[in-house]
Amino acid sequence: MAGALVVLFVSALTFFFVNLAPGGPSSVMRFDVTAEQRATLIRNMGLDRPVPERYVAWLSGAVRGDLGTSLLTDEPVAARIGDRLPNTLLLVGTALGLSLLLGIPIGVVQALRRNSWLDHVLTFVTAIGLSVPVFWLGIVLILVFAVTLHVLPSAGVVSVGRESIGDRLAHLVLPCVVLASTILPTIVRYTRSAMIEVLTQDFIRTATAKGLAPRIVVYVHALRNALIPVTSAVGALVPRLLGGTVVTEAVFGWPGMGRLALDAANGRDYPLIVGIAVVVAAIAVLSSLVVDLLCVRLDPRVRLS
Amino acid sequence: MVGGSWALRRGLFAAIVVPMLVVAACTSSQPAGPGAQASGVPVAGGTVTIPIVADPTLNPWSPNAFVESLFVNRILFDGLTKPGKDLAPAPDLAATWTTSADGLSWTFKLREGVKWSDGTPFSADDVAFTFNDIVLKPDLGAQNRGNFSAVKSVTAVDATTVRFDLSRKFSALTAYLAYNSGIVPKHVLSADPLKTNSFNKGVPVSTGPFRVEKYTSGQSVSLVRNENYFGAKPYLDKVVFTVVPDANTQIAQALSGDISIMILDDKAAVARVKSASNLAVVSRPLVQYYWLALNQTDPRFTDVRVRQAFVQAIDRQAIIKSVELGYGSIANSAITPALKAYFDPSLSSRYPYDPQKAKDLLAAAGWTPGADGVLTKDGKPFRFTMDVGQKGVLEPVNALIQQDLKKVGVAADLNTMEWNSYIQKVVVQRDYTATVNWWTYPSDPDVFPYYAASAAGKGFNIPGYKDPKLDDLLIQGQGASDLAARQAVYKQLQSYMADTLPYLFLWYPEEVDVLSSSLQGVPELGLRDAMHYVGEWWLAKK
Repeated sequence: MAGALVVLFVSALTFFFVNLAPGGPSSVMRFDVTAEQRATLIRNMGLDRPVPERYVAWLSGAVRGDLGTSLLTDEPVAARIGDRLPNTLLLVGTALGLSLLLGIPIGVVQALRRNSWLDHVLTFVTAIGLSVPVFWLGIVLILVFAVTLHVLPSAGVVSVGRESIGDRLAHLVLPCVVLASTILPTIVRYTRSAMIEVLTQDFIRTATAKGLAPRIVVYVHALRNALIPVTSAVGALVPRLLGGTVVTEAVFGWPGMGRLALDAANGRDYPLIVGIAVVVAAIAVLSSLVVDLLCVRLDPRVRLS
Repeated sequence: MVGGSWALRRGLFAAIVVPMLVVAACTSSQPAGPGAQASGVPVAGGTVTIPIVADPTLNPWSPNAFVESLFVNRILFDGLTKPGKDLAPAPDLAATWTTSADGLSWTFKLREGVKWSDGTPFSADDVAFTFNDIVLKPDLGAQNRGNFSAVKSVTAVDATTVRFDLSRKFSALTAYLAYNSGIVPKHVLSADPLKTNSFNKGVPVSTGPFRVEKYTSGQSVSLVRNENYFGAKPYLDKVVFTVVPDANTQIAQALSGDISIMILDDKAAVARVKSASNLAVVSRPLVQYYWLALNQTDPRFTDVRVRQAFVQAIDRQAIIKSVELGYGSIANSAITPALKAYFDPSLSSRYPYDPQKAKDLLAAAGWTPGADGVLTKDGKPFRFTMDVGQKGVLEPVNALIQQDLKKVGVAADLNTMEWNSYIQKVVVQRDYTATVNWWTYPSDPDVFPYYAASAAGKGFNIPGYKDPKLDDLLIQGQGASDLAARQAVYKQLQSYMADTLPYLFLWYPEEVDVLSSSLQGVPELGLRDAMHYVGEWWLAKK
């Protein structure tokens, strides 16, 4: 219920703000269009009507699942998003999976070897990871793996005319690595500090004193508790990942929502911008719900009332 | 925000990525291409891949057919004419044409036996439909309809004859018909000419040498030979357009051999790309010129001496050298060197860089040195704002102009804006004092829409310049029917433009194209114009 309100709020806010922004749809905002054509196009798109009136019309369609028509392509907004969303979910999902698979073990190792040379090296590497711009890393990886070594494709989701599962996976590697790099350092840091905090707590000392094997202490008792703050952090990272897709998808020509959002914003495709905002808000709300449920499972002290 | 990061990206690209491109290019394991075999015998087969920045709209008249759509539409949709290899209009769907004595009626004899890609016969009805039901319909707002404001109606006389009736003389008609004016099928589009999505974003019915095989949104549009094509069978099996929005990724793809031909917008990368053994780099003339518009509603700019002073204060050769890396030449009129039959090269030395001359002219116009190095007149300093759109080379160019003007005592402040907002302010609202931009126009010297007094303040006459003598020359040009008469009028027009400077002409850019060294048969035209000749392209066997 609260989630639905958030989505409604986002839709209203986005609708009014994008219409307040200077400029207009690309078909109107170009040099080689006469004033007469411009007036005709504005009227045909219904942009001569007041914004509140347009919002009410949009909302009454949206509750029935009709997100309007894209101003740039005349296609239904829902169809354009539906076309791109699976690509983005695939990219975000694999990047998130890769980050967790690598980030949590690295964080644990760092916590166990606190202040060792390994800890310092890994801290240094993750600091670099946080400061490298995504587009730069993307281009460098393309130059190395596609141009010089010829082992991975440079862009797109498939090679036209040579589609196969292996080909799709090969196309996924570079964008996935680049996107994962935006959140991996954060996961490592959260895991490290959470583990360090848990390892100094009384129940760990008790468990060790009881004579439990160190492996069990670390991986069953400590890690399980350390994962609670990490899980909450991941919930907050999902919106960041979705934001990261804008640049990643542009660099790798990945046909997802990030690129769609960029095109929509540059071209002032108002219905599409609002549609994307609503879908992204819904994903953010859903992911925070999933995180809450996971925390309940991980932490016996939290109970759903 | 997006634009700001782009500026940063350009800078970073030059600083970090370009040196790596060299390394990548030098270590590339590509075999040396047979670039030297340019004059070999054409062979059939192969696929050419061309990058575009966004999904195209496959309908030349859709208001949403932006620049990326031109590449594809120029292959798919034949016009009555097309730009010849000398850019003069050449026959395409029309085989021949004649003009009535009064110049107000043009009759086109269409090519016989032409079929649409679905096998339906093409006829004069399709031409009449394209114009009467799309271009000339005011409530559709079709793209480029402004180019045909002289056309009253189009009549299908018989299956292979069409007549264009005009409201005024318009000798550039065949050149304008060659410019993004493809004929579309009546039998498919009669219900909804501009918004049929299965056509615009799917598999359209077309007449060109290739037809759409598959349109994959956000990824690619692949074309295969059109077996119903009326002309010679193309050499290539396929032409694939891949959607690659990022300019740096496009360059990387060219280096890795994933792209066959592309326009290199960022000339900073030219030297690097040249060092790649699998690529050739060529420069091509464009029907395009950059200008500085000074709003004529501002009384400071109505004095021709001020405009002449500005154009001599600006070191245009330095701009060409630094932002275009030498790919361009100084402009003193709207007619570009690409229009060989009309261009007057003698004007190129009309205004050499001469800051002292500029100061003298400004002094003659009543501007006197002020306290802080800024000229003043009637107690007011010579200070104004230049609106800068974030696109291509505009930002560095404005910075250079600002410095040059400062040297002669004119203070220009730069107001940089995101492109879409810039268009709204400068073009739609005409709320600007000075701005730099460019025009690309059909391959004909008839530049009436950009200079006519009737277009001041609302049409394409951006500075709002009004001059009866200029109007008279423009109208004479539209009425002159044979080449010699046109050449005479347009020579006069160029000279008059250079004298009066309706816009301050800056430079004629050249396009830099990067192509795979195995790709042959591409005519020496800008890549977008070369699309009309894709049937002649071929790939040398490796």
